[in-house]
Amino acid sequence: MTATNAAALPVADSVERPTRGWATPLWVGALLIILAFLVIYPLAMLFFGALSDSNPVVDGFGAFRPSIARFLEVLGNENVHLAFFNALLACGGGTALAVLIGLFFSWIVVRTDTPGRRFIAGASMVPLFVPPLVAGVAWSILGSPKTGLLNIALKWLGIDFRFDFYSMSGLILVFGIYYAPYVYMFTSSALRNMDPSLEEASEVAGASAFTTLFTVTFPLIAPAILAGMLLSFVVMLGIYGVPAALGAPANINVLTTYIFKLTAWSPPLYNTAAAVAILLMVVTAIMVWAQQKVLSGKSFATVAGKAFRPRSLNLGSWRWFTFALALVYLFIVVVLPTIALVIAAFRKFLFFKDFDAVFDTKAYSLVHFNAVFDNPLTMLSIWNTLKVGVITALVGGALAFAIGYTVNRTHVPGRKLIDLLATVPVAIPGLVVGVAYLWAWIGLPGGLYGTIWILALAFVARFMPDTVKALSTSFLQIHRELEEAAWICGRGLLGTIGTIVLPLARPGVVASMTLLFVLAIRELGSSLFLYTSDTTVMAVLLLDYYEGGNTGKTAAFSLVQTVILAVLLGLTNWLSRGSAQGSARVG
Amino acid sequence: MSAALSIENLGKRFGVGRPAVDGVSFDVPAGEIVVLLGPSGCGKTTTLRCVAGLEHPTGGRISIGGRVVSEPERGLLVSPRERDIGMVFQSYAVWPHMTVRQNVAYPLKHRRKSRGGDINAKVNETLELVGLADYADRPVVSLSGGQMQRVALARSLVYRPQLLLLDEPLSNLDAKLRLRLRDELRRILKQTGMTGLYVTHDQAEAVVLGDRIGVMRDGHLLQMAPPGEIYNRPADAFVANFTGASNVLRGKVLARSGETATIDLGGVGRIEAWTPQPLSAGDQARIALRAENVRLGERAERNVFSARVLERRYQGTQTVYDLELGGQRLEALELGTAARHDPNAEIPLTLPPEMCWAYRDEGQSLD
Repeated sequence: MTATNAAALPVADSVERPTRGWATPLWVGALLIILAFLVIYPLAMLFFGALSDSNPVVDGFGAFRPSIARFLEVLGNENVHLAFFNALLACGGGTALAVLIGLFFSWIVVRTDTPGRRFIAGASMVPLFVPPLVAGVAWSILGSPKTGLLNIALKWLGIDFRFDFYSMSGLILVFGIYYAPYVYMFTSSALRNMDPSLEEASEVAGASAFTTLFTVTFPLIAPAILAGMLLSFVVMLGIYGVPAALGAPANINVLTTYIFKLTAWSPPLYNTAAAVAILLMVVTAIMVWAQQKVLSGKSFATVAGKAFRPRSLNLGSWRWFTFALALVYLFIVVVLPTIALVIAAFRKFLFFKDFDAVFDTKAYSLVHFNAVFDNPLTMLSIWNTLKVGVITALVGGALAFAIGYTVNRTHVPGRKLIDLLATVPVAIPGLVVGVAYLWAWIGLPGGLYGTIWILALAFVARFMPDTVKALSTSFLQIHRELEEAAWICGRGLLGTIGTIVLPLARPGVVASMTLLFVLAIRELGSSLFLYTSDTTVMAVLLLDYYEGGNTGKTAAFSLVQTVILAVLLGLTNWLSRGSAQGSARVG
Repeated sequence: MSAALSIENLGKRFGVGRPAVDGVSFDVPAGEIVVLLGPSGCGKTTTLRCVAGLEHPTGGRISIGGRVVSEPERGLLVSPRERDIGMVFQSYAVWPHMTVRQNVAYPLKHRRKSRGGDINAKVNETLELVGLADYADRPVVSLSGGQMQRVALARSLVYRPQLLLLDEPLSNLDAKLRLRLRDELRRILKQTGMTGLYVTHDQAEAVVLGDRIGVMRDGHLLQMAPPGEIYNRPADAFVANFTGASNVLRGKVLARSGETATIDLGGVGRIEAWTPQPLSAGDQARIALRAENVRLGERAERNVFSARVLERRYQGTQTVYDLELGGQRLEALELGTAARHDPNAEIPLTLPPEMCWAYRDEGQSLD
């Protein structure tokens, strides 16, 4: 085999595409410059900021005195330690809970005869679409220690117990239930792809179902569990909305909220924020690296020789128990928060004499919605969000197509570097991207700062890895020979891309643009540092309402935002599906 | 302790449609190896999985060593781990996260009724039996396919179950290895005196391994008999065809006495054939005949015909002839490196009556 491969290589090289002289270096150079501008320059500025007490762009390089001591001083600070420790505790606890829930659900859906499995599988992904801040707001309405709806209900029931979601355990709980789908995604597909006779062998050998689960099933899908675990940890680490809503009232800071607090100080401590942002980035990068390591590592070969029917365990009457547990979970993550938001949004005052007052229709009105829409910023933020979403999708989609094609389909020198630069942002939390862009553009006169474009460019950079990855998969599905056939027919490279690659990859391109659009319109972390009053977006405005303390308006705007997101999501989904069908006819 | 297996009127239905197993009954006395043979989808694997308890039968009774383990009519179902059986899977199903020793020791550690004794000694003894003594502490993923299947075998033998079930254990191996492991498998099974139920679609495997072979089709057990009988006295046209009697001659029954039928083949005359079926004069019959059993160039006392060579395919150690016999096609095999008959030649041949098997022709397909 090796011999034939080695012999085939030079032949493949000699069938290299037509060379284009100066065009190739120009193209590669252009891509590298764009990526450097989007990724390297802001990161470099972030590092400079962390290492000094001035901004070289604003104050000039004369005032720039880099010293590692400043960075170490920040890392030695007690408050930083506390935020770091809190972040690890909240994300660690949240991850543990997410693993429990995610594993349990994948087992129920893939391996048991629980009724309504398909519905459960679909519904348990819903939390992925809920913006973190909306989830945080909903749970603060439900579980604030004094006025929380849950506590009012408990009081009415005469139970002495009170929930307090403004606490570390509240944070862990909300993290755990909302990020369980990340674990579920990995473990359910691993379970589905596992040869069921591995488990049957254990059962025949005399082990109980329980023993089998812990000695065979879980150890075999350990890589998937670990990958899901690391991913959910990384995502939680970068989330701002949930700790802002639930941690802030109890003065619990995690890294993200602490970084934002530093920039909101008067005067803003941008250098300290940069240093803490780097700490957050390093932790994230380590986790992402570990996750990639786990995923690319040799996974156990569990594929059988023949296609197998997935095994489903006959639970008997226990299946109603698992069904009930699934319903309880869905009730907690979907129904309860929605009810809370609806009640808070439509009720004039969020005060209940007793539980019966909940059903007093006279207390409900549209007053909060009117207030929200009387605020000129509301429509502006919706409009801005759409603009940013569209710009991000178009610019990011085009750039990702260029990068994806260059990396996957050509042999130009420098494509490895392009790939690397486009992947770097995977290890940078949104909030850190925001801080880096702030550093990069704040002092530049006539620059991007204060425009819609800085938000869009930050999003393009932040979501570049996801977009390129999504596009690369669709490139890989187009057989190389289809392109080669076009060259042989006398088409040039651009002509081939235009007439062959683009039409065939269209569903993939549309899907990744859709993904970009959706990610952009719900992004909060990076927007926090980049908006101005003219360029405010929905997520930021919602945070404003929440921090302003008006629960009614916050809930009303949460609902408005959720409805807009749902409509846009449905619309884009419908658009990309239509496009996929259109090309299926062609293909 | 090996135990007898008894299956009575087993039925298994998945949802709607034709049942996967329909009224299958047979016994396996202690120490005997029975092979279930049939094309894919015939219900052989389902039968095996019902015996293992991995599939829940919808009818009939299964008993192992005199103890009923499944009888849906009485709501009786014993879980796989309580049945004291061993099973070898097609995909090996060795656990990739363990070493060879851990795999083999697993049943000893997790079985409820542990028989006591030294786990290590038992593992070593079993690994010795399957020829893997030197590999005990290797991770299983470092082994070849054949070695993995030996691990799986050792794992199912180590606790001396009453009954060993094997589900196409050799079909994932390459051809050469399959032959070697096949012979070794029989040696090991016979050495341990295990009662075995073995499922395969490979006739050669069935013949070598089985004390008796059961041929299945569409959920029915067509014939259960020792290999020699399956090969020389197939009970119906499907069994004959499936075990390699691919020649079919059609004709009309003239007379029958006992197990011998006389059949009119049209222009070329009449043929005498053995039949297990109560054919009567006037019935349409099809006669199955193996290519190996056509005696080319021979004139015996009965069933002598003359045929024309249409095509000759020389295969080195044997030659295959396509013949025309009274308008019907016949394939014949001549052993040896010399091909003696030329294309277009008119040659005599004998079809030995005991090797011609007649069945009622219902126009059914044999695939």
